[in-house]
Amino acid sequence: MTTRSDSAGPAVSPAARLLQSPAARHVTRYGLAYVLLGLGAAFALVPFIWMLSTSLKSIDQLFTFPPTWLPDPIVWRNYLDAWQALPFGIMVFNSLFVTALAMFGELSTASLVAYGFARFRFPFRNALFLLMLATMMLPWVVTLIPGFLIWRWLGLINTYDPLTVGALFAWGPFYIFLLRQFFLTVSREIEEAAIIDGANAMQVFWHVMLPLVKPVLLAVALLSFQGNWNNFRSALIFLYNPIERFTLPLGLQFFQATLTAGEAPRWHYMMAMSTLMALPILVLFFLAQRQFIEGIQLGGVKG
Amino acid sequence: MLEWYGATLLRYVAVAVGIGVLMWLTHRGLRRLGMRRESAIGLTLIMPWLLGFLIWNLYPIAASLFFSFTDYNILQPPRWVGIDNYRTMFTSDPSFWPSVQLTMTFALISVPLGLAGSVVAAILLNQGVRGVGLWRTLFYLPAVLPAFIVALLWRLLLLPTRSGLINGVTEPVWSLFSDTPPGWFLDADMVLWSFVIMSFWGIFGANTVIMLAGLKNIPRDLYDAASVDGAGTFSKFRYVTIPQLTPTLFYLLVMGVIGAVQVFDQPKFVELPAGSPNFLNVVVYTQAFAFSKMGYGAALAWFMFVVILLLTLAIFRSSSAWVYYEAEVRERA
Repeated sequence: MTTRSDSAGPAVSPAARLLQSPAARHVTRYGLAYVLLGLGAAFALVPFIWMLSTSLKSIDQLFTFPPTWLPDPIVWRNYLDAWQALPFGIMVFNSLFVTALAMFGELSTASLVAYGFARFRFPFRNALFLLMLATMMLPWVVTLIPGFLIWRWLGLINTYDPLTVGALFAWGPFYIFLLRQFFLTVSREIEEAAIIDGANAMQVFWHVMLPLVKPVLLAVALLSFQGNWNNFRSALIFLYNPIERFTLPLGLQFFQATLTAGEAPRWHYMMAMSTLMALPILVLFFLAQRQFIEGIQLGGVKG
Repeated sequence: MLEWYGATLLRYVAVAVGIGVLMWLTHRGLRRLGMRRESAIGLTLIMPWLLGFLIWNLYPIAASLFFSFTDYNILQPPRWVGIDNYRTMFTSDPSFWPSVQLTMTFALISVPLGLAGSVVAAILLNQGVRGVGLWRTLFYLPAVLPAFIVALLWRLLLLPTRSGLINGVTEPVWSLFSDTPPGWFLDADMVLWSFVIMSFWGIFGANTVIMLAGLKNIPRDLYDAASVDGAGTFSKFRYVTIPQLTPTLFYLLVMGVIGAVQVFDQPKFVELPAGSPNFLNVVVYTQAFAFSKMGYGAALAWFMFVVILLLTLAIFRSSSAWVYYEAEVRERA
């Protein structure tokens, strides 16, 4: 018998006992894992800290060696100065407007289409569903030029239409896919009960099915908010002038083109503006991280 | 400003109502034609997507194929030039092949690297460590940032002077080899690696989270059965974890490759040094919109389309050799 097994014995020193407590055993067993995870987390976090730190530096603290972590003095004014450098206030509203319409379009049509694919048998259903999945892999550049020409032909370049109205055509195949998987899990009996009560397909959809998939709907809403709030590409292609018409991502690009040119790029303003822009998404993420994470996990596991 | 909103809102509502009416007419029409109720409702419900597919996917794919055989600057009508655009692209455009090389090497390096990193992280998280939720949140954080902010942030972190954070911290290392700090995004030879590092940071957390879900889906009894058969930690990893994880790996590989080949926002927020090729999607955008060469842009876009199609097909084809699907095996048994 070794001393290791009789940890309660009187011969064992207090230090050794401590080492054999469950907590200590946990640390010795998982110590390496914690170290590695800590390194990974540091890798993920340090850039954020640097972003925040830079956004609060004065211009003469920007390019020091060795790098300074804590700005001294802390220049809160950077945020105000950066905010006022361009009409960012208006751009926030533009972004909110575009995001709200696009989100509504994506959510409403994606859930209808998903319900159709999940619950009704119709000719070519499986082929059409596969086709829809295949569009997830379609590179956007291949539809870029004709898509642009359609909007141009409609006379709607430099309006918010290309960023919003298109969403009414269920442009998010991934969302349709996610919602369909969830409609499939709802038991048919619940639906049938409603149908016996005389409800038509739309009533069943609205009063029975949608409430049941609310958690997924929320996950889809979050992903959709993120996608549209961050939509730089469409804004770049479709919005030109004046600058008051820009959404935030396009404004930020304009800002970076003017600010980082020249001798001393004003990174503190850049980072202040980036922080402000990322803030809504970060806050949403912290409030609803479970839905965020589950949303993207579902795609991977059910896919 | 308000009139811009108003005009768009008006058209938005009109299109929404239009789609609604069209759905109603479809339903009536199909019922008149004697289609079963269930089928008619199903087809009606998928109408918004079907319309969108025809207008925003199918027609544009065909139209861009047509444009790729024309010379088209938007102002004058397209002029048919046969395969000229493709000939220029493959033989005389000096920036084409370097761009292809940059884009493909980027995908080839960054995707496997991101997958490997996230497999390791997910396995560590799945060992029974405390605070999985917290770790998961921390890792996922970079994926919440928009790609263009990631690009700005990494330009700052990889500033080519000593005062850049990365160069400042790693000075003891690079000063062994040279007097001048690495140029990262501003050194044509290092552009690729800068993008690889940046994309690793941006994607690794999201991959980890998906991978972790894949790991949690592996039934415990498989491990128990392996233990009974005398399998050690490594054999369990090799013969249970990896095969069971292949469907998740497959999904992440397909999506990762498709995403990596199409990077656009990030290079648009990074000014590359003169003489460095750019990523293919940026090249398409520049040709079509900055130089108004819609025909040439369309040819480049179709090249992208074919490349992605072939890559996806190759991965799908290979999947039968390495992706393990429970249902398939059960069917065969």
